[in-house]
Amino acid sequence: MTDAIRMRALCYRAGSHFDISDLSLTVPAGAVYGFLGPNGSGKTTTIRLLLGLLRARHGEIEVLGRSIPRDVAATLARIGYVPERPHIYPSLTVAEAMRFHAAFHARWDGAWAAELAATFLLRGDARVGTLSKGEMGKLMMLLALAQRPELLVLDEPTDGLDPVVRRDMLESVLGYVAEHGATVFISSHLVHELERICDWVGVMDRGRLVAELPMQLFKDGIKRVRITGATAEVSGAPFVLLKRERGQGTAEEWIVRGWKAGMESYIEGSGAVVREVIDLDLEDGFVEMLRAARVPQAKEA
Amino acid sequence: MFRVILATQWKWTRGALLIATCAAFALPLLSIRNASTALEEMNARDLLAIMNTIGMAYGLTAGSIGLVIAAMAWTPDHAGRHVYALALPLARWKYVAMRFAAGALTLTAPVIALWIGGVVAIASIQIPAGLHSHAAALTIRFALATLVAYATFFAISSGTKRTAGLILSTLAGALILELVGEALNLPLRPFFLFVDFVMNWSGTLGVFNGPWMLIDV
Repeated sequence: MTDAIRMRALCYRAGSHFDISDLSLTVPAGAVYGFLGPNGSGKTTTIRLLLGLLRARHGEIEVLGRSIPRDVAATLARIGYVPERPHIYPSLTVAEAMRFHAAFHARWDGAWAAELAATFLLRGDARVGTLSKGEMGKLMMLLALAQRPELLVLDEPTDGLDPVVRRDMLESVLGYVAEHGATVFISSHLVHELERICDWVGVMDRGRLVAELPMQLFKDGIKRVRITGATAEVSGAPFVLLKRERGQGTAEEWIVRGWKAGMESYIEGSGAVVREVIDLDLEDGFVEMLRAARVPQAKEA
Repeated sequence: MFRVILATQWKWTRGALLIATCAAFALPLLSIRNASTALEEMNARDLLAIMNTIGMAYGLTAGSIGLVIAAMAWTPDHAGRHVYALALPLARWKYVAMRFAAGALTLTAPVIALWIGGVVAIASIQIPAGLHSHAAALTIRFALATLVAYATFFAISSGTKRTAGLILSTLAGALILELVGEALNLPLRPFFLFVDFVMNWSGTLGVFNGPWMLIDV
C-alpha cells in the first residue's frame, strides 16, 4: 500500500448551495498531509466522506487499502479521528470516556492513555461536559492517539485553542508519527500551523481541490517576482502566473507558482529585467493561490 | 462493548429509572389501598370495579416508562449529531441493537419492582371468595407493554428531528381534518381511525387493550 487515502472523482451535494464535485485526492502513506482551505470550503465534508459518515453520490474512496463505505467499520478501527466539534458524551467523566472508547478499539493502549492524561493534565474524575475547550481538545486527541491508529484524521484540532495547548497537541501527534510512521490527515485554516508539521498539502476552495503538492514545493515554488519592461503576453512560461500587478511605469509584480532557480532567464529572454525574487510564506502563497483559483470562477459567474 | 453501552445507558437514565421503579412498586399497593373499603366488606363486585378503574394506570405507566427511556437512550447521540457513534468501528446496526438491548435491560428494574409491589400488596390483604390475584400475569403484561412502548419510541426517536416533526405534523393534520370534518358534518374521521387502529388492532399494541387486573375472577 503506497497511499493511505485515495479519492477519485468524488461528487457530493449538500443542499442547493454547496457541492463537492470531481474531487480527486491522494495522501501518501506515512505523510503528514495538511488539508488547507477557508471556512466553508468543504474540508469537514471531505473528512466525513472519507470516514463514511456521509455517502458520496459518485466516485471512489479508498482508505488504508479498504473501500469506503463498504468496509467502513473495519477501516474505522485503524483510524483515530478528532472531529471539528466535541462529540464525546458530556455526562461521562474523563475516565469513563476513556473506558468507553477503549471497549471499541482492540489496539487501545491503556498505559499510554494514562500517560497522555497525565501529560495533558486531565483529571479522570472530571466530567467531559465541564472541560474547557483546551481540555476537551486534549481529551479528543488522547482518545484518537491511544487507540494506536495507522491513520490520524484531525479536523481543525487546534482551532480556538491557546498556543500552549496547540503546541502540546501537535507535539504529541508528531511524537506518535515519528514512533509509529502513521499517516496524518490534518485540516486547518491556520496556515502557519501546518507549515511547521506537514510534508504534503492540499488546498480546498468552494468544494474543489485547487492544489495538491509536497509542502516543500508549495513553499519554495511560490514567489513574488519584481520585473520591469515585461511584455503584455506571457506564453509558454515554465511557471504558473497566478497574479500580475502593474506598478509605476513599466514595473510589475508577478505572483508565480512552480518557480525554480534559473527561471529568470525565461523572463529576461523576452527583454524584461528581473529586479527581485521574493520568497512568500505559506500564508501569502495560500492566499494568492486561492485568489488565482477564484478568478476563472468569477469570470464564469 | 455491550457492557460500556449498558453503563452509559444506566448513567443517562438512572434518575428516570428510579422514579419509574418507585412508581411501578407503588402502583399495586395504591390500587389495594384504594380498594380497602371493598376489601373490608369483602365486596367482590366493588373490588373488581375499582381494580378495573385503577388498571388504566398500569398501561399509562408502562407507556410513559417506554417513552422516557427510549427518548433518553438517544438524547446524547442526538446532541453530538451522532458523529461519535458513527465513527466507532462497528456496523451501525450493531450499535443500534446494543443501544436498544441496553435500554431494554434497564427496564427490568421497574418490571421487577411492579412484581414485588404486587406480591407485597396481595400478601397484605384477604381476597374475597371467587377472586384470585394475578401479580405474575400482570407483571408479564406490564413488561411486554413497556417493551412495546420502548421499541416504538426508540424507533421514532432514533430518527432525525425532521422525522419526529413529520410524525407529529401528520398526527396534527389528521386531528385538524377531523375537527373540520366534524364542523362541516363530513365523514372525515382520520384521527379517530388512527386512535382506533392503534388501540384496537390485534397486533403488538393490543397489549395495552382491555382491563389490567391485579385481582380478578
